[in-house]
Amino acid sequence: MKNANGKNIDYKEVLSKLGPLLALVLVSIALSLGTEQFMTVGNITNIMRQASINSLIAAGMMMVILTGGIDLSVGSITAFAACVMGVMIKNGIMNPVLLIVSGFGAGTFVGYINGILLTKLRLPHPFISTIGTRNIFRGLALLITAASPISGFPKAVQYPGTGDIFLGIPVSFLIVIVMYIGIHIFLNNTALGRHIYAVGGNKEAARLSGLNVNKILIIVYAICGFMCAFAALVMVGRLNTAFPLAGSTADMDAIASCIIGGVSFLGGKGTIWGTLIGSLLITVLRNGLNLIGASADMQLVVIGLVIIVAVYVDVLRASAEAKSKRLAAKK
Amino acid sequence: MFKKLSDNKIKESIERNNGGYFNLHSLRELGIFIVFLVILAVLMILSPNAFARPTNLINILKQASINGILAAGMTFVILSGGIDLSVGSTVALTGVIAASFAHPGEYPLFVPIILAAGAGSFIGFLNGLGVAYGNIPSFIVTLGSMTIVRGLALIASRGQPVFNLSKSFEHIAGGFIFEYIPHLVVFFVCVAGIAGFILTKTVFGRHVYAVGGNETAAKVSGVNVGYIKVAVYTIAGFLAGIAGLLLASRIVSGNPTAGAGYELDAIAAVIIGGVSMSGGAGKWYGTVIGALIIAVIGNGLDILGVSSYFQLIIKGSIIIVAVLLDMKGKGKQ
Repeated sequence: MKNANGKNIDYKEVLSKLGPLLALVLVSIALSLGTEQFMTVGNITNIMRQASINSLIAAGMMMVILTGGIDLSVGSITAFAACVMGVMIKNGIMNPVLLIVSGFGAGTFVGYINGILLTKLRLPHPFISTIGTRNIFRGLALLITAASPISGFPKAVQYPGTGDIFLGIPVSFLIVIVMYIGIHIFLNNTALGRHIYAVGGNKEAARLSGLNVNKILIIVYAICGFMCAFAALVMVGRLNTAFPLAGSTADMDAIASCIIGGVSFLGGKGTIWGTLIGSLLITVLRNGLNLIGASADMQLVVIGLVIIVAVYVDVLRASAEAKSKRLAAKK
Repeated sequence: MFKKLSDNKIKESIERNNGGYFNLHSLRELGIFIVFLVILAVLMILSPNAFARPTNLINILKQASINGILAAGMTFVILSGGIDLSVGSTVALTGVIAASFAHPGEYPLFVPIILAAGAGSFIGFLNGLGVAYGNIPSFIVTLGSMTIVRGLALIASRGQPVFNLSKSFEHIAGGFIFEYIPHLVVFFVCVAGIAGFILTKTVFGRHVYAVGGNETAAKVSGVNVGYIKVAVYTIAGFLAGIAGLLLASRIVSGNPTAGAGYELDAIAAVIIGGVSMSGGAGKWYGTVIGALIIAVIGNGLDILGVSSYFQLIIKGSIIIVAVLLDMKGKGKQ
């Protein structure tokens, strides 16, 4: 597609990629003009902290959406992984390594289950199976904690959520940057990464080219679970508490981040940096609405609208692309 | 080969659905009915004193009613090949709206009823427009509207439940016919009956199946696909409005956080009832049995003292197993 019409398309593509960044800059300018508190060091640090949990989940969600799927259970996975760590300290296991490993293990495992349900049991589109697991994992989180929050994590576990490096940049945001660079390299420079794009672009073609589609899908859902566990680690660090009801809107925010960032719902298209911009935009929106004094209820309305509009733009873009392809074919 | 495939699909769709209004010859629905009877029998044996009491059985019917009404609307949507995740939030918003206009001595009773039904229909209509003419996947449109409508419910009620409702409003769901049959159940039976009639006896109903079975085939056969899609979401929204009204009347308050997770129960009822997730196949009375099964399981687990967290896990598993059976059935064909 890129080379079909020469430079013109490239120019358009750059513009469409810069669109979300432009929106982020515009919203930030509007907010800094609107409220004095927005452009302060304290608030910027705060935004970075707030963005990091969503950014980690959104990175996992992005890979799932790249394969043409969706994971509606991310919020429950995050809560479940946090609660597994919580239950460990409740039972007197304070070894940070053991805690972190068990959290990651729990998240990755339930992500793996999502992948198994989708592939081995040949369920239809994953939204129905992940709606099911969303309830199952949430139920598990409530069950193992007896529905009460658990606090008192060791300092080392809290560090990723609370620590600062320099200039007040939070450790959690540094983790996001490092993970995103890692994912960028993974998606662009490894065979598996390219395969993920291939599966999302055309599943049947990928299978006929000899890719083990099921294996790739299972890995992607497991990675998504792993990223949710990472978010859970930052979350319990930040709050020093594992909440079984945490992350109830995480799926919405993560999906919104991906779609705003230009990850196509139809699969096969999108970049990790777009997702980062989308995640920052969502966080800035939420932060700004808070500063303006809009209620949490208003935020629900805004985020919901943003998702629908972003997907609609994606659909329009896809149909415009299909049209230009058809026209090119006619010539 | 492609043409042959779609021909087969149409044939299969016709074969599965030409049973008419009520036809238990179909193995699938008969199987579900037997499962229902077995669950009922097991619970009666396990808990003869608490579960099998007539008051509890009527209670189960009441519990099944609101979900059953939502599931009837969901049946239309899923038959057309879509999904509606916003019905739970719509229940909350329409409940708040109905309750706000049902304080004693303010408005006549028809005002909250019409407003709730109207608001629900309007939300469904917008969902339908997004799916049919925006070409946005249904679960995205309704995931978005689920969030938006929940926000609107919270804003409209300022986060507080709306109390102080008139006796006549409370009577809508709380009343009885012939002293024994709760109004709720009457509503459920009427909705299910009308939905069944529309699906099996009207051109519109057949078109819903056609759109879900093979959208392209339906379109080239002259079915107005966009219109059908908008209509099914509007029906689902309308019934969610009715359910919101009934819930507000039943709990005698308009609660903005009510109905969370109701979409799940409704989807579960539909899928358990044998309606195919990919659309175009399934029976309305399957949904009725599905709603009864969910109510019986919920009630039975409550009586047996199973925690609500564990029930969440069981509900999630039931959905997955039901979808699994659906896929297995298709594999055989």
